[in-house]
Amino acid sequence: MAAILDMKGIEKQFGVVKALDNADFSLEAGEIHALLGINGAGKSTLIKILSGVYTKDAGEIAIAGESVQIGTPAAAIACGIASVQQHPELVDDFTGIENIFLGQESPQPGLGRRVDRRALKLQAEQLLKRFPIEIDLEARVGEMPAVDREIVAILHALSREHIRILILDEPTSTLTEREKTSLFHLMRQLKAAGIAIIYITHRLEEVFEISDRFTVFRAGRRVTTLTCHEARTSNISIPELMLDEKPGDIFPPKAKSAAGEALLDVRGLSRPGLFSDVSFTLRRGEILGIFGLVGSGADELSKALFGVIRPDAGTITVKGKQVALKDPHDALRQGIFLVPGDRRTEGLTLSRDVIFNMTLAHLGKASFLGGLLRFGSNRKASAGLAQRVALHPMTLDRPVSAFSGGNQQKIVIAKGLYRDADIYIFVEPTVGVDIGARATLYALMRELSAHAGVLIISSDCDEVHGVADRMTALYKGRPVFVPDQRPSRDQLLSAGIMGARA
Amino acid sequence: MTALKSSPLALRLTAFLVLLGLIATVFQSFAPAYLSENNLHALLRHMSVNGLTAIGLTFVIVVRHFDLSFPGIASLGAMTLGWMLANDFTLMQSVVGGIAIGLVAGLINGSVISYLRLPDIVTTIATGGVAVGLSYFYSNGTSISENFFMSGILDLNDSRFLSLDMPVVILLAAAIVAFIVLHCTRFGRAFYATGENRRSAAFSGIRVKAYVLTAFGLCGALACLAITLLVASSGAANVTAGNQLMMPAFAAVYLGAALFGAPSIPATLGGTLLMSAMLNGFTLLAIPYYYSDAIVSTVLIAAIGIFDPKLTTLLGGLFSRQPAR
Repeated sequence: MAAILDMKGIEKQFGVVKALDNADFSLEAGEIHALLGINGAGKSTLIKILSGVYTKDAGEIAIAGESVQIGTPAAAIACGIASVQQHPELVDDFTGIENIFLGQESPQPGLGRRVDRRALKLQAEQLLKRFPIEIDLEARVGEMPAVDREIVAILHALSREHIRILILDEPTSTLTEREKTSLFHLMRQLKAAGIAIIYITHRLEEVFEISDRFTVFRAGRRVTTLTCHEARTSNISIPELMLDEKPGDIFPPKAKSAAGEALLDVRGLSRPGLFSDVSFTLRRGEILGIFGLVGSGADELSKALFGVIRPDAGTITVKGKQVALKDPHDALRQGIFLVPGDRRTEGLTLSRDVIFNMTLAHLGKASFLGGLLRFGSNRKASAGLAQRVALHPMTLDRPVSAFSGGNQQKIVIAKGLYRDADIYIFVEPTVGVDIGARATLYALMRELSAHAGVLIISSDCDEVHGVADRMTALYKGRPVFVPDQRPSRDQLLSAGIMGARA
Repeated sequence: MTALKSSPLALRLTAFLVLLGLIATVFQSFAPAYLSENNLHALLRHMSVNGLTAIGLTFVIVVRHFDLSFPGIASLGAMTLGWMLANDFTLMQSVVGGIAIGLVAGLINGSVISYLRLPDIVTTIATGGVAVGLSYFYSNGTSISENFFMSGILDLNDSRFLSLDMPVVILLAAAIVAFIVLHCTRFGRAFYATGENRRSAAFSGIRVKAYVLTAFGLCGALACLAITLLVASSGAANVTAGNQLMMPAFAAVYLGAALFGAPSIPATLGGTLLMSAMLNGFTLLAIPYYYSDAIVSTVLIAAIGIFDPKLTTLLGGLFSRQPAR
């Protein structure tokens, strides 16, 4: 089969980070091709170059054998490449039809031209004839279920007839099983119509269900491309291909001694629509893991434990005392520290230097009784913390925005250390962190757990399984029962992905 | 030149002094009285009023909000002060009363904006309007100057302390206190953290709403302290007293922030000095206020433009693109 898309020697550098390093990728006409890789492997950078969001530093892109330059999103569309973002941007107040033809209501340019609704409806019907799928396009998008929104976004991407390549970025992350089936149905229709689909997902079982081939990316390079048939017969482990080393190598040893006193005891914590009936106990000296995909309520749970979201039912007991956490201020006073999932917006004041950030969570300690800052001792304390978390580069005076993702995360952890917290909650701790820094962060968590309790909440199954001493999964807001809380990796994975009991 | 490049502060300070020198030279050449001792006293007294307002506004800008109500609040403060003086309250009571009204009005702004989450611009336009309305209650809008000679309020303008004019002394005192609070204490850290990333500040345990509330309270109180000096210099309280405070205060904060990289107390003082140097010059040249207001507004627009990081990076790109030799 002829390749519709050929990318060769693609390079892209962000500051000191090489996101793509001599990467190549090839796509055949009319195939569904899954793109796999851990966070930071380079797959989204590749997609963004292909859809014209980023420009490549070097390399060749050929479409149907013809070399092309893609510098802007408009150029990508002109080349026949359309993409649908993870959370499609739609106008909630418009109908499905209006959203599909947004920006191309009228063939002639100019103000004052009326939108010909009848013509649009006719065009929509033609589109549905090309890709038969059941959907009410007259409904307002704001009232549509998640899958219909996804379908509208896809139809919007395909409303220009010359589109031959469609990029879908984690389209199933917020869908239920039944919704997924109807999305897959549409994808097969598109495939039958000759459209090639690049499909990014973190759910490995979907790969075998829907795709023809898959490509694994790791550290900015393509590792391998296989057909699903080859993969099944050769009995290879995709996670092993995705990770730089064999899983386990980057993870520190598990806790040696038995866990100590109960630090955090959560009973029946519920907030309708987000999570329900969550119970667990976190002890000093251990790392407890919760595996939950995007939309599983895991992130919201972490915020409830930090006083950002108020639970409707259930109790939180810290060191034997039941507490009501009104805000993060309360949570910090109870010795709880959250290393938030979105460190740039929730964890750091990016424009400020390391000292400002490291001391921010405990300004009482950073100042004298009257409030005057202890400039000298703050610098000394920050220098000590920077050593302890192995900050690189070891400078205290540059703004934290100038540090790499992993080192920014270390600065957030240092905030918690400065606060002397007993309970550390890590949410997606290694998103956007390269493999090398990951190992350091995991080792740091293990070190923290010697004197504190560490809770790690992540959508990365291997991370939870590799780091935590005990673990459970959250599926659609509910914890999945896992016997003795030491499941195998596959048990944990199926618990989090399908809610299956191990 | 290399020394300047390695120290951005020195570069910014030089830019400020060059600008100040330029303004002084231009006005001196048109009005020889500009640099006379008398006029410099007048300039500094003028700067005291605008400087106090701008210091209050700095707190609001640092937490990334807007306050458009302080001119109205200042008018209300002026009328409260005048009414209390006219009704035989002591000078101390009256001054405190005027400032207290400003504090209360500012706190109302702050609580509505931070706790009820109403949009700051619309809210402060409205509360400013209410404050102007209330200021008419005391005398149906006529100006008040009864008892002013007896009360000693005029001394606030006329007396001297360590050979400095009293208004300048008050400005310096307020600036020193504000400097220490904003740049040397945990509270200052919290103000800046709240403004620069509210979410991460809240996640660090900072009570961001309380800091927004405080910023508006300070802005209201300082606007009324400023108007007290203006009342003292004009010898009467009237309902339009606050009208002339708006432009210079905003222009001072933004011009200072543009020159020194971020809003801060020294930056605001520098901005105020530049604004007062210009406004005073226009007065000397007898340029009508509507023209000088237009020029000040132009300066404000330019300052906001330079303050905008998009524009600064663009300009920075222009400079760095020059071939290095």
